[in-house]
Amino acid sequence: MNIELSDEAEEYGRQARRALGSAGGDRLAQQAEADPHARGALVDPVFEALGAWELDPRAGSEELEAGAALCRSAGWWALAYPVAERLCRPRDLDVDGLVVIGPGPPAAPVGGLRMAWAAVSLDGWRAVCAASPLRGPVRKSGYVVGLEVGSFERGGQGDVALGLVLPCWTLLGMLDRAMSLTRAHIAAREQFGQPLAAFQGVQFQLTDAEVERLGFEALATHALWSIEAGRADAVDDALALRLAAIEAADTVFRVCHQLHGAIGFCDETTLSWVSRASVPLRRLPLNLAGTGAALTRRLGRRGLSGLFGPNDEPSPTLPALRPERR
Amino acid sequence: MDFEMGVEVEALRRELRDLVAHHVPSDYLGAFTDDPADLEMAQGFCRLLADRGLLCPAWPGEWGGRDASPWEQAAVREEMWAHHEPRGAQYMGVNWVGPTIMRHGTREQQGLHLPPIARGEVIWCQGFSEPNAGSDLASLQTMARRDGDGWRVSGQKIWTSYATMAQWCFLLARTSREERKQQGLTIFLLPMAAAGIDVRPIATMIGPHHLNEVFFDGVWVTDADVLGAVGDGWRVVQEVLSFERVGIARYARCERLLIWAPAALGAEWDDLPEDLHGRWARMVMHARRARLLAYRVVDLQSRGQVRPGDAAAYRIAVTRLDQESAQVLMDIIGFAALGEGEGLRFRRAVEDHWRYSISATVASGSIEMQRILLARALMAAS
Ligand SMILES: Cc1cc2nc3c(=O)[nH]c(=O)nc-3n(C[C@H](O)[C@H](O)[C@H](O)COP(=O)(O)OP(=O)(O)OC[C@H]3O[C@@H](n4cnc5c(N)ncnc54)[C@H](O)[C@@H]3O)c2cc1C
Repeated sequence: MNIELSDEAEEYGRQARRALGSAGGDRLAQQAEADPHARGALVDPVFEALGAWELDPRAGSEELEAGAALCRSAGWWALAYPVAERLCRPRDLDVDGLVVIGPGPPAAPVGGLRMAWAAVSLDGWRAVCAASPLRGPVRKSGYVVGLEVGSFERGGQGDVALGLVLPCWTLLGMLDRAMSLTRAHIAAREQFGQPLAAFQGVQFQLTDAEVERLGFEALATHALWSIEAGRADAVDDALALRLAAIEAADTVFRVCHQLHGAIGFCDETTLSWVSRASVPLRRLPLNLAGTGAALTRRLGRRGLSGLFGPNDEPSPTLPALRPERR
Repeated sequence: MDFEMGVEVEALRRELRDLVAHHVPSDYLGAFTDDPADLEMAQGFCRLLADRGLLCPAWPGEWGGRDASPWEQAAVREEMWAHHEPRGAQYMGVNWVGPTIMRHGTREQQGLHLPPIARGEVIWCQGFSEPNAGSDLASLQTMARRDGDGWRVSGQKIWTSYATMAQWCFLLARTSREERKQQGLTIFLLPMAAAGIDVRPIATMIGPHHLNEVFFDGVWVTDADVLGAVGDGWRVVQEVLSFERVGIARYARCERLLIWAPAALGAEWDDLPEDLHGRWARMVMHARRARLLAYRVVDLQSRGQVRPGDAAAYRIAVTRLDQESAQVLMDIIGFAALGEGEGLRFRRAVEDHWRYSISATVASGSIEMQRILLARALMAAS
């Protein structure tokens, strides 16, 4: 058993976090919001220096784990940039990145970048697509735009798990940050003559959130390994991770907002930026209900692999995808 | 990364499943039932495991183990708990009584106690809780007073699991009153056959023959029965509790029952309300999550490290899983006939799981204590 990312990957993640911090840290998200179309140019030099786009997560465990660590660091700074999606770029298509799409109208947080994308459905149908222009303030849209999807072809089965798992690592970085900010806040903020952290009601909310974050982290590592090991049920593992990730995010952000009080909703606190940045990742490609439904369908009577599963039952086929064109 | 436990652990797991399949009746639901045959079966099964070196594989060879890795020990815990703990009460001796005596006992105490535990011949009980000392354990009142070259123990313990069948008690008592209540506490290894001990069973909804009151009336113990230093009991107890926290692989039983459900229901599975299929899938995910949180603790253990926050987080997650999975499984059996054969066995196992799960957040210390521990670890790190 070896249940942690490699030391090299962890070190790469730390370097990335430092580099993004030096390049502006929390200000990067604010600058991007002020000028959404410049959001790529803001971070290009950092990723260039980190060699980020030379990483090929499909090439083997080292690069996959480094990619995950990079996503987590991007999440820490609530970076307004689709790092995971770009890392998922299929090498056999002439595109800049890949997104997974759910049964609803195809959409992804890739607006304002002038890039070509591939979209893959949960059952592995893949198409080249173009992002629609950004509409309205990105404060509201979270850079989510519709995708104009070309014709679907088979061949994306190997993309689905990766496309689901790496964005979860970005979300994990956001949860890391939200918890860290909240711990600092409840240690510093005093009411009734003592720090909030002294109240048991506050402590218990914090622990509930932390258990969620830790559980999410454990499943994120497992799902990454499942891809790395080329396991047949990597998509099941990815969906299980996604369900845990959304549940964890819901709890963590609810608790972190609650413990920040009113100040947590203000632009002047970092929590509000991280919280807003997390929303598209929690809703797309499948929200909580959608992820639960997809996982349930896939598991059928089999369950997940583990000590006693999966049961020896055929895996149910997913309904064929008929994505809406936009 | 590698989430496979490796060929050795898998071989061990197969061996254990084989033994369970051949020696544990398929309707076995634990040693503490109204049928004395269940306890007898458990005693016999322990000896069988011991003969094959499977009762305490992670113990050092010197004490009857074979220096197996913490992962092998984890697999034993998983297989045993998943199959309703066919070791009966013995798991306590293996999980924490033995290891604590290894660390703090004299050579004589080790020689006296470790071999019988390793052979599966002896049952221990834990005398910590008292009527007025539950979560606030350190406020306990049971006194051991100096009397010549020994001690006289007087007082009352409560919620003492397995006390009716135990030969030994791992007792925490006060030997002096000091400035802080955590000081002046001492551990005694006390024979339950000693004069002046009265055990009274408590009827409970969790199952028969489990909880008891134990009264001590001037029970005589000698210095040879003191574990560790006089007055150092609190520190030893902290270690006991941290062994105990990872001791029960509750997730393994949850996973086994969840994965069993579709087969047990047969065709009726497809007729369940759709939302119940969804809740089942979610629980399957949560069973994996709790298992992976346990593995974090084992992983640290295998590198000789301890992070108290991680063990607490695991226990919070696994006790929640215990209760939520019990709820989902109870809902599932409510929709199916399950009147005979495998279906009936499944129904009984689920009902037993539900009854027992109610106490999961209280037994081994209330879950609130774990939350306090985790909060402390979190705030110390920031
Ligand atoms: C199945 C089972 C087996 C057991 N076996 C043994 C055994 O073998 N040996 C033994 O010594 N004991 C045993 N116990 C006892 C167990 O350790 C205690 O029940 C436990 O420590 C809680 O103590 P209490 O029941 O007195 O509850 P109390 O301490 O009275 O607490 C009641 C509730 O109040 C809340 N609470 C208490 N203090 C706080 C606080 N500071 N902050 C927030 N909330 C708080 C918690 O919700 C707690 O559950 C067993 C218990 C059970 C259920």
